[in-house]
Amino acid sequence: MSDKLKDVINKQNEQQNQDESLTQLDDVVQLVGFIIGDEEYAVPILSIQEIIKPFTWTRVPQVPGYVKGVFNMRGAVIPLIDLRLKFGLTEQKHTDETRFIVMKHGDEVAGFVIDRLTMALRIKKANIGPAPDTINADDSLIDGVGKEKDRIITILKPDRLLQRDF
Amino acid sequence: MDEFQEILQDFLVESFELVEKLDEDLVELESNPEDLELLNGIFRVAHTVKGASSFLNMDVLTHLTHHMENILNKARHGELIITPDVMDVILESIDLMKQLLETIRDTSSDAGVDVSECVARLDKIDGGDGNVETPVVEAPAEPVQEEAPVEETPAEDEPDYENMSDEDVEAEIARLLEQRQAEDRAKREAKIAAGESVPEAPPSPDEVSEEKKDEKPSAPPPPPPPPPKPSKREKPKAKIEDESKAAPAKKAPVVEQTIRVDVKRLDHLMNLIGELVLAKNRLIKINDDVEERYEGEEFLEELNQVVSIVSLVTTDLQIAVMKTRMLPVGKVFNKFPRMIRDLTRELHKKIELEISGEDTELDKSIVEEIGDPLVHIIRNSCDHGVEDPETRIAAGKEETGTIKLKAYNEGNQIVIQIDDDGKGLDVEMLKDKCLDKGLITEKEADQMSDKEAFALIFRPGFSTAAQVTNVSGRGVGMDVVKTNIEKLNGIIDIDSELGIGTSIKLKIPLTLAIIQALLVGVQEEAYAIPLASVMETVRISTDEIYTVEGRSVMRLRDEVLSLVHIGDIFEVERIIDGGEHAYVVVLGLGAQKLGLIVDTLVGQEEIVIKSLGEYLKGIEGIAGATIRGDGGVTLIVDVVALMDMAKNVKSSVNQSAANSSDGVIKEKTQASDYTVMIVDDSKTDRTIMRKSLEPLGITLVEASDGQEALNTLKQSEHNFDAMLIDIEMPRMDGYTLATEIKKYNRYKTLPLIAVTSRTSKSDRMRGVESGMVEYITKPYSADYLSSVVQRNVNFKSEFLS
Repeated sequence: MSDKLKDVINKQNEQQNQDESLTQLDDVVQLVGFIIGDEEYAVPILSIQEIIKPFTWTRVPQVPGYVKGVFNMRGAVIPLIDLRLKFGLTEQKHTDETRFIVMKHGDEVAGFVIDRLTMALRIKKANIGPAPDTINADDSLIDGVGKEKDRIITILKPDRLLQRDF
Repeated sequence: MDEFQEILQDFLVESFELVEKLDEDLVELESNPEDLELLNGIFRVAHTVKGASSFLNMDVLTHLTHHMENILNKARHGELIITPDVMDVILESIDLMKQLLETIRDTSSDAGVDVSECVARLDKIDGGDGNVETPVVEAPAEPVQEEAPVEETPAEDEPDYENMSDEDVEAEIARLLEQRQAEDRAKREAKIAAGESVPEAPPSPDEVSEEKKDEKPSAPPPPPPPPPKPSKREKPKAKIEDESKAAPAKKAPVVEQTIRVDVKRLDHLMNLIGELVLAKNRLIKINDDVEERYEGEEFLEELNQVVSIVSLVTTDLQIAVMKTRMLPVGKVFNKFPRMIRDLTRELHKKIELEISGEDTELDKSIVEEIGDPLVHIIRNSCDHGVEDPETRIAAGKEETGTIKLKAYNEGNQIVIQIDDDGKGLDVEMLKDKCLDKGLITEKEADQMSDKEAFALIFRPGFSTAAQVTNVSGRGVGMDVVKTNIEKLNGIIDIDSELGIGTSIKLKIPLTLAIIQALLVGVQEEAYAIPLASVMETVRISTDEIYTVEGRSVMRLRDEVLSLVHIGDIFEVERIIDGGEHAYVVVLGLGAQKLGLIVDTLVGQEEIVIKSLGEYLKGIEGIAGATIRGDGGVTLIVDVVALMDMAKNVKSSVNQSAANSSDGVIKEKTQASDYTVMIVDDSKTDRTIMRKSLEPLGITLVEASDGQEALNTLKQSEHNFDAMLIDIEMPRMDGYTLATEIKKYNRYKTLPLIAVTSRTSKSDRMRGVESGMVEYITKPYSADYLSSVVQRNVNFKSEFLS
């Protein structure tokens, strides 16, 4: 019993210490992770305006397939982009876990359909590597690749996601 | 008089804004002297201030800015390097400019600030000899001299200003100002003592400056060609005297005219009101429902009253806010007659200006933005367009040239058109000039169409003038035009014929407005068409649609109207609609007409235009979006673009319908190509059906109720060949589901098979009414179910193993 308690307390302390060490360091990036297809991606937490459950949208003609249309978010008309289609995957039926992430960069706002959220992440900058060399850095949506324990998380650039590319 | 004041106010507000920006830019420029963009920007400020001040007869300011412009122009062309020394002088000149603007704000004239020293230094940099004419020396116009004394108050003695040194003039001005202010103060105090209402603020330590501000709006302008002579200062003052005596109450509202509100705030207000309008629409609908249900109840009366008050106030509020944003374009046009007069004198030409459509209302933000571009276009027309009287006579034209300025609404756009009957644009000459300046390559020049060549005049650095004059020739004005119009998402259209004249059209979209729209439906989508472009709607039988050269047309009274289906334009997936009738919305735009076929007419509604944002802007055929009462988004049709797009829609209305239905029916090559959906809330029943059908090898999809089935259909991952539907289900029963499915043209022919324990005749009848083709009662044998399904999906026997 007391061993277990000790364990728990130790763990908590550890956690705290870790948290402290993280907060003490300025070079920590706060991200929100999500899944598209089989891979985990993340965007900076500050670029996210809100995360909402899916609701109806209106199709817009003459746009690429990944632009699903527009939807009404409290009076603002916002484009909706399906990241599955944007990343070349097939369209999937929305599930209970599907979410719209509304991202903002400057005056640009758009909603992105993702398969499911994972968690808010704090990753040390030291643990973020550059995008693979095979990708042209300027054109890429990828800001870097974060390593967290045994996971590899692709960090996306919100400004590029919000840039019209058609 | 008031007109001039209004212009002056605008000028001041604008100039202060520009100068403020200038400070930032200059500081940046010092650390970044190579930045051409920045230099261009600074140069444009000087250019714009010069242009405006010259026509307001602020000669000292014009004089100063002209020299600034010269230097900046050199820097811009790389002929001058901005050293800190040069920067010092430029900054000094900007300080002087600010000082001048403040003087103008306080006294309505720009005398009293000595710029000669600064101008001399500017000239030195410019490579001039430093021999600078100060405007005081320049002072040419005699008429004013004769005029001025008449208007001066007799009490004042008139010193010999001509022979005074600058310092003396300065002192004299200060003295006169003091005297005048003292008099004003005394008068005002006397009025207060007499109990007269005085609109000004109560006496305070700031009183002097306060008074000065109050006087400013009613101060009369200097006479047309007044030199910047000190004597002019008395004139406005004298008039103020008269006016303040005659109508002191008139001043206050004039001051309030210039309240400027951030457009963003108005936008926000407008958005809120848009929401309110939508909420009001819903409230009215709910009121109707309640009325129906609780007919005769007492509280209804009260509810009715509240609803009608809310809707009335909302409508008024909406109109009021709209009005705060809308201004007649005349506000901008008003300043041009004067400008033309001054220009004609300067250029020794004879030009008449005809203005029409000045009542056309424009959003305030647009009115503010088009002022500058129009000044530049008109100056350009005067300088480069209209020829000298001699040339005109030689060319067989009337001696007096005409510039027509008109504004009108066209669909969703406002068009401002500037026509001149001058020499027109010479395409070859334009190309040559651009080649000389290295703005285009020879290859580009060869491939250029006339329209593209006309557009060359908007390139920065382009000028056809051989000499830089006060009016034009620096190649910056038209660049301003393009930048400003593009900022408004507007289009510039130039037409020109050599020797006949040039016509420039500025097409500016409505950025923000509440409009009346006709809502139409196509399949399950809805679109809003601005009612202004709708001429009529007609219901025709499909027999009345003829095909001429692969295009659909119909006869509308004595006209032949070409038809296009809205679904073809907006890529709506369309399956043949068995209906014998079609609704045609007749769109009219100028002389152009087009019949737009839609599936349904929803109705007329007041809609708030919202932009689709940067990400989706510029989609052909879509002018924007609006939010409907139910919270959904409906796209607004851009009628102008739609007319263009209709020309490129090749397939005729009937053909395309046939094609798209072909696409849906795919050749079945194996048993699993057949897909059947099983809809039942009981897991056991679903399993039984699955077991019965599995031996066929067909693909089976399950849904546990009507709602889920409908969603699965909408997602359309499969092309279903048949559906087995239970009747008793939660959320949505089988009948409702069948009715809903039949609403989709795409599923009109999908066989729906009821599988139910309900056996009564009336149940069967309901099934047929809702579109079911078969009715299987539970319990059934596996073979029977299998055979019914095979029959309905046209199962090929060779797939049976």
